[in-house]
Amino acid sequence: MIDEDLVESVLDAAMSQGRPLLAEVRAEATESRNVAVKSGVANSIVSSTDAGMNVRIVLPTGIGFASSNGMSKAVGVELSKRAYMLAKNVRLKHPAEMSQEQPVRTSWEVRQDKALADITIEDQVDFLKGIDATVTKTKAKVEGRYFEIRTSETRGSFANSDGSRISSYLPRVRVDSSLVVTSKGESEQSMREFGGTGGWELVESWNLEKALADEVRMLKTIIDKGKMVKPGKYDLVCGPEVAGIAAHESCGHPMEADRILGREMSQAGKSFVTPEMINFRVGSEYATVVDDPTIPGSYGYYAYDQEGVRARPRYLYKEGLMNEFLTNRETAATLGGQSNASSRSENYLREPIVRMANTHVAAGDFEDDEIFGSVKDGVLMHSFTEWNIDDKRYNQKYVSREAYFIEDGELGGPAKRCALEITTPGFWGAVDAVSKHVKHNAAECGKGDPAQSMAVFTGGPMMRLRGVALK
Amino acid sequence: MSELRETAQEIVDFARDAGADDAVAEVFDHRTHQIRYSNSRIDASNWWSLKHAHVFVAIGKRTLSTDLLDLASAKASVEALVQGVRITPENSAYTGIASGKFKYRRGRADPKIVAMRSPTKHVHDAISAAVREGATEVGGTLFVRHMRAGIASSGGALAEDESSALELSVRAFSQPEASGHALCCTHKLSGMDARGTGSRAGQMAFLAKDPVQGDVGKMDLILEPMFLGELMHSTSHMISAFYVEVGMSMFAKRVGKKVASEEVTLVDDPTMPSTSQRAFDHEGVPTRRTVMIDKGVLKTYLHDTSTAKRFKTKTTGNAGPYVPIGFDPPAAPLPIHPVLEPGDMSVEEMIADTKNGLYLNNTWYTRYQSYSRGDFSTIPRDAILKIEDGRIMGAVKSIRVSDNMLTLWKNMDAISKGTEEVFWWDEVAPPSTLPSVRVRGMNITRSS
Repeated sequence: MIDEDLVESVLDAAMSQGRPLLAEVRAEATESRNVAVKSGVANSIVSSTDAGMNVRIVLPTGIGFASSNGMSKAVGVELSKRAYMLAKNVRLKHPAEMSQEQPVRTSWEVRQDKALADITIEDQVDFLKGIDATVTKTKAKVEGRYFEIRTSETRGSFANSDGSRISSYLPRVRVDSSLVVTSKGESEQSMREFGGTGGWELVESWNLEKALADEVRMLKTIIDKGKMVKPGKYDLVCGPEVAGIAAHESCGHPMEADRILGREMSQAGKSFVTPEMINFRVGSEYATVVDDPTIPGSYGYYAYDQEGVRARPRYLYKEGLMNEFLTNRETAATLGGQSNASSRSENYLREPIVRMANTHVAAGDFEDDEIFGSVKDGVLMHSFTEWNIDDKRYNQKYVSREAYFIEDGELGGPAKRCALEITTPGFWGAVDAVSKHVKHNAAECGKGDPAQSMAVFTGGPMMRLRGVALK
Repeated sequence: MSELRETAQEIVDFARDAGADDAVAEVFDHRTHQIRYSNSRIDASNWWSLKHAHVFVAIGKRTLSTDLLDLASAKASVEALVQGVRITPENSAYTGIASGKFKYRRGRADPKIVAMRSPTKHVHDAISAAVREGATEVGGTLFVRHMRAGIASSGGALAEDESSALELSVRAFSQPEASGHALCCTHKLSGMDARGTGSRAGQMAFLAKDPVQGDVGKMDLILEPMFLGELMHSTSHMISAFYVEVGMSMFAKRVGKKVASEEVTLVDDPTMPSTSQRAFDHEGVPTRRTVMIDKGVLKTYLHDTSTAKRFKTKTTGNAGPYVPIGFDPPAAPLPIHPVLEPGDMSVEEMIADTKNGLYLNNTWYTRYQSYSRGDFSTIPRDAILKIEDGRIMGAVKSIRVSDNMLTLWKNMDAISKGTEEVFWWDEVAPPSTLPSVRVRGMNITRSS
């Protein structure tokens, strides 16, 4: 447990530094484990305990943030003094502002049915070895096999000068797999990530032995039987993984207010979106994308963000129109409005910045088979491997990992390395059908400087795009 | 004995006393001050301090590591770690840590960097210089780093190291779709040229004005060091024995074979003065200059003691951290400071010698369809300048390089005389010393 009196006393120290517009203190303690199995052998086992705190002070002259490991009054007082001096020395020409938010006094936690702490390292290694053995037993030749479990349990305590006091407990678990299948002198790769907030019951629910054995069989089929797509225009059905990466890359990122306002201009970049583009049409009426931190068990779950603002779903694109930016208190103040609780940081050492949580295409009205039932000549891109997007979030590319031809409404043979290179309005404007069934995938989103890895879900239902160019 | 080395030795002694056969402790004391600026003004001033230890213990083939953040309770934590390792499963691939009598060259931090209290002047100088060249918006970061580390191991490692760094990143915009990016990475205050860096970013932004849609097809590319630094991230990682073992390397089974043009000699050199100069790797082996590619031929993978034994060779002094850092896995050999040896052309000569090509300032988001094949694409950002008949003829936008990484290294036919240290964000990493290069006939694609 974190000593909340300590957090209170550090906040007093922070508030005594001049006259801050806002002072915040966040203390965190994390127990983490990392177990990796490479080619059937335990490769590395890491078990760590971390604890530290940060102080952020907002003065009219600027924002100062100081952090350190260690949790004591002496550390907190030193951080308070340093954050104040940093904020003072920024010397902004225009005063720093933060949106006004209601103070909150609460605590929140995510419960575990099977506590992560009760799963021994030996259990975890055996679990990964079991996956490795299952994958090895398939008829596919799996030359590269690397599996990793990462678990963490983070207790947090947050206090700010507005009167918010929030304590939290967040257990999180993730399993990564990296697989390389070879056949007939060719190879295909798969990198999968499974994650959620909760206990070991999540890992059991993923049925990983079957999922990853199916994955290597699929890769072998793609190598052995896959055919390249003849470049041209096709109807494209995106599976949930592809819909999800598009939702994340070409909706979530460009709708981050800090990018729109230029604060990430030299790293993650800016955005093709400008502040006045709310209600601007970017897609068809079927294109609705939601970012929702409150999905129970989701990898990007949180109840309150790291500025103490209550989380809620954000409709970023709504029926094809730009609807709402992701904001924190700083960007909300600039844009004029309230924060929608998008402030997150990787850990206590880093400043909180605007981040996504669980970004997915909203469900539509179709059954999955109806989505490709009317496609005469098309491709189902079920999952992707190579992908990227420019720093305005306008030009993107997705190359298939698993794909199939669609002929007269029926799924045909496998398609190999099918590439979609398209603009953001081109992608979302081509959507003409969306299924009822949303699926999510865990991912780590990178942003910030130093880079902060952030747990998120991407996802969506099966989605049809009419007449897009494939290569 | 100095403080960090002493603490590391104490931790190793605790581990040995508790029953560990092997132990490595690396104690870090890092202080970082960062100034973030955008839209030509400072947004935030961040400072963080982290004093901690990576500790690795082994009993037989059972291994366990921890990131020890509470050094005050090191004894109890290490005893618990050794208790923990007794019940971990065996790691049959573990073959021990490095042992021997090691000699180290201890690094020194620049006291002027360590003493810096308010580095904002450099940021203001960079912004002003970029604006003078025509930039309308300027953003970036300035990092001031002071890093100390001490290491001890049951294999005989005992050393201390210190370094400092100033890293200035300047991205300038002259129009919403016209930008230039420049860096200044130096281990000495005297190497900081904020005005020059701002000017270069501003000049590139000016040249990038009024971009038109780029053409697709095969083109010759001249890559600035920053662009090459982004490609170096994946290239140098794929030379790690770890990535070869997990099937994620285009260099697998290619030692002794041609993997690049004869112009290419690529070394990992943590011993040269730089922002990533290191005296020892993470298992305490003294670092060394390792030739990875010699005149186009792959000479070795990067190794730690365990991978070296599996590959029947010796460690190259590239042991990575025992705990995961960022996106890097734990216990994997990693490049520390890649250096591409300079060539004999100037950048101006390369441009004059190019008939149909592009001059590329920077890139990001390099992703692979297949690491083992090397099929990739990357998205140029900042100035993308069209070269026609040996002259810069305006700017283009919205293109992608979609080709094969081995092809890129094999098609590298010109390397500049001048080199530059580059390190930027999570993309141009690890810190590298690189020239500009020309690559013939790369495939350019764009959105349809």
